[in-house]
Amino acid sequence: MLLKYIIVKLVNAMENEEKLMTGEESLKVITAMINKSRVNLTQSSFHLLFWGWLIFACSLSEFLLWKLTDLATPWYVWFFVIPGVFVSLIYGYAKGRKQHVYTYATGIYVWAWIGFLFSSVVFFIVHADQMESVGKYMLLMAAMPTLISGIVIKFRPLIWGAISFWIIALVAHFGGDIISGLAVPAAMITGYLIPGYLLRTKGSHDTI
Amino acid sequence: MTPFKELDPLLHSQLRLAIMSILISVDRADFTYLRDKTEATAGNLSVQITKLKEGGYIEVSKSFGESYPQTMCQITRLGRTRFEEYVKIIEQYIKPEPPK
Repeated sequence: MLLKYIIVKLVNAMENEEKLMTGEESLKVITAMINKSRVNLTQSSFHLLFWGWLIFACSLSEFLLWKLTDLATPWYVWFFVIPGVFVSLIYGYAKGRKQHVYTYATGIYVWAWIGFLFSSVVFFIVHADQMESVGKYMLLMAAMPTLISGIVIKFRPLIWGAISFWIIALVAHFGGDIISGLAVPAAMITGYLIPGYLLRTKGSHDTI
Repeated sequence: MTPFKELDPLLHSQLRLAIMSILISVDRADFTYLRDKTEATAGNLSVQITKLKEGGYIEVSKSFGESYPQTMCQITRLGRTRFEEYVKIIEQYIKPEPPK
């Protein structure tokens, strides 16, 4: 028992002894560790599918309520987004606690979406009296964090999804009421749902 | 001839240099990640992290992960500066200035 204790202490002391290095060895250590630290940031399909379906449902409901009913404020369906924000934040927080490493790209990705959230809140306050025409502006604002996400996780369908937001926003602006009303549901299919299901079949996991 | 500057003894150690190299690449990394990447023993890694922390080169924060304590390390501004200086000095050693 005493012998085992002495051996363990000696091994620890030998391990803790600092190994002297040459300049080349130092650079090799630095290079090797930097290469090992390259983290492929991958993304769960959860956020894309959750938000894709939620916004699709809200926007399509608003359009149908506007077209088929006499309801004066069909945009009230958008209040369902508020609990959605909490679901998303709680999911992200729970996933984040399991992470062993946070990269700078993670921060860029996360803050891009937080910035979008703040912009959306301010936008809804500023446009409280013109809620019928907010769809195309929301697409314009959502395109940037979507593009950043696609670039950071190196997922081309999401980059194309972001580009589709800009195209659909333009079409919505010049297309008239019905096209404008269906713009956001269409954008959710091209921008979130298709990339989300493609990502799910790819089998990626969340690292944020 | 420019005289060679002395290497920072806190960085001129294989494991501490490895830790700093990882932390300069990522924003934050926990003990488990550092251990996996450096392939060091937990005891040795802990000792070297403490030395870097005492030198002000890294910050260490402890929290509770999913169901286990988590030690998160992040490089400080001082650590980043010292690391960059260390790399410059190493490069000077490897490629010294030609005599005039």
